[in-house]
Amino acid sequence: MNPVHLELKNVSRAVFRRVNKTRVKTQILSSLDLIVQRGELVTIMGPSGSGKTTLLRLINRLAEADSGSIMLNGKDIKEYDPFELRRKVGMVFQIPVVFRGSVNENLAVGMKLWGYENDIYALARDCVIPLELLNADAEQLSVGEKQRVCIARALANQPEVLLLDEPTSALDAASAEKIETLLLNLRKEKGLTMVWITHDREQAKRTGGKRYFLRNGRLEEDHE
Amino acid sequence: MNELIALALTVILVMLAAAYARRFGIGKEISLSGTRSIVQILILASIILVLFKLPLYWSLIVLLTMVAIAGHTTYTRSGKLDKVFPAAIFSIASASLLMLVPFFLLGIFPLEPQYLIPTGSILIGNTMNVSSLAIDRYRGEIKNRRNEVEAYLALGAGPKVAASACLKQGILSALIPSIDNMKNLGLVWIPGVMTGMLLAGASPFTAASIQIAIFTSIFAADLMASNLLLHYSTSSFFTGAAQLREDLE
Repeated sequence: MNPVHLELKNVSRAVFRRVNKTRVKTQILSSLDLIVQRGELVTIMGPSGSGKTTLLRLINRLAEADSGSIMLNGKDIKEYDPFELRRKVGMVFQIPVVFRGSVNENLAVGMKLWGYENDIYALARDCVIPLELLNADAEQLSVGEKQRVCIARALANQPEVLLLDEPTSALDAASAEKIETLLLNLRKEKGLTMVWITHDREQAKRTGGKRYFLRNGRLEEDHE
Repeated sequence: MNELIALALTVILVMLAAAYARRFGIGKEISLSGTRSIVQILILASIILVLFKLPLYWSLIVLLTMVAIAGHTTYTRSGKLDKVFPAAIFSIASASLLMLVPFFLLGIFPLEPQYLIPTGSILIGNTMNVSSLAIDRYRGEIKNRRNEVEAYLALGAGPKVAASACLKQGILSALIPSIDNMKNLGLVWIPGVMTGMLLAGASPFTAASIQIAIFTSIFAADLMASNLLLHYSTSSFFTGAAQLREDLE
C-alpha cells in the first residue's frame, strides 16, 4: 500500500449564511475524517450545500477549518507556507476562470510565480489543447476549452495533489466526457493524487477510485 | 449685503432640492448635507479669518486636521477595513503635501496662510474624493471578482498578484472624472480657482496659468494617493494565510 499522502482528522467547519438580514450559523463539516494514499483517486459525492466545495477549500487552505487537522505528507498544512502549499495542492474549480490574456499567458502564470521552466507545448498537448489556440484570447474560448486551460494551468505548477471541484458539471455531455478522460489519463501518466468532487454517481464509478458520500458533515464510504 | 443675498439663495436652493429629492427617498439626506455644508463653510470662514492673522504653524495644524478628516471619510468608504485608516491618512497627506510644496518653493505663491490653506485644502479635498472612489471600487471589484482572485490564490499567487486586475480597475475608475475634467478644461467649464481669480480682478492669462498648475498638481496628487492607498490596503482584504476574507460586504 502506498504511503498516506493526505489525511484529514476530525475536521469541522461552520459557515454563516444570511437569512432575512440575520447571519445564521450552519455546521457543514463536523468531525470529518479522510485518508488518501499517494497516487490514489477518491471521489466525493453529496447534494448541493453539503460542504463538498468547502472541504476542498480547506485542503487548499483557501479557507480555514474551525477545528481538526489536515496533514499533507504527514505535516500539518498550517506548517507549510500557504503559497507553497497551494503549489503542491492544485485546484480546479467548477466554473472555469481564465485570466485576461492569451491561453499561452494563462499557462505561463505558474512559471512566472514559481520560476519553473515548463514546456507549454507539452502541457497543451497533455491537456488536449490544440496548439493553434495558444495565442487565442482565453476569454473567448468555449467553457470546455476554458476548463482544459484551467487544468493545464494547475498542472503547470507541478502539483502532487489535484483537487477537482465538479470539473465537468458546467459542461455539455461531449465536453464532460473529454475532460473526464483527460483527467483519468493524467492521473495514470503523472501518478497524481486526486480528490474529485462530483454529483454524478456514474462518473464516480467510472473513475474507479474509492467513493465517499458527504452526509451530515461526515464522509461515508459508498459501496453501491 | 451681497453675502447675505448669496446665503439666502443657498438656503432656498437647499430647501427646494431637498423637497424635490424626497420623491427619490433622499430628501432628508439632501437637507442634512445642505445644512451641514452651510454651517461648516461659515465656521471655516470664521476660522480662516482668525488663521490669517496667526503664525504659519497654525495653518499646518489645520491642514493636518483636514487630512485626518479626509482619511476618516475614505476609511468609512472602504467599509472600515483594518489598516485602511492609517493608509488613507498617509496616502492623502503625502500626495497632497508633495504637490503643495512646489507652489511655495518656486515662489508661485508667497508662504502665507491665505495661500497655504486654500491651495492645501483643494489638494486634500480632491485626493480624498479620488481615494474614496478608488477604495470603494477596489472593494467592489474584489468582491465581484472573488472567483478570479481565488483562482490566482489557488495557484500560489500572493494577494498583490491576485488582486492586481482589481487594483488597476479601481484606480482607472477613480481617475475617470479627473481625466474627463482635464480633457474638457475650458471647454465645458471654468474651474474654481480661475473663476475666483477672474472675479477678484486678475488677468485671464494669470488666472489660467495658476489654474492649470493647480489642476495638474491635483491630477498628480490623485494618481499618487489612489496608488498608495490601494497598494497599502490590499492586505486588508486578505487574512494572514493569504485567504480572501469572507466577511467583505
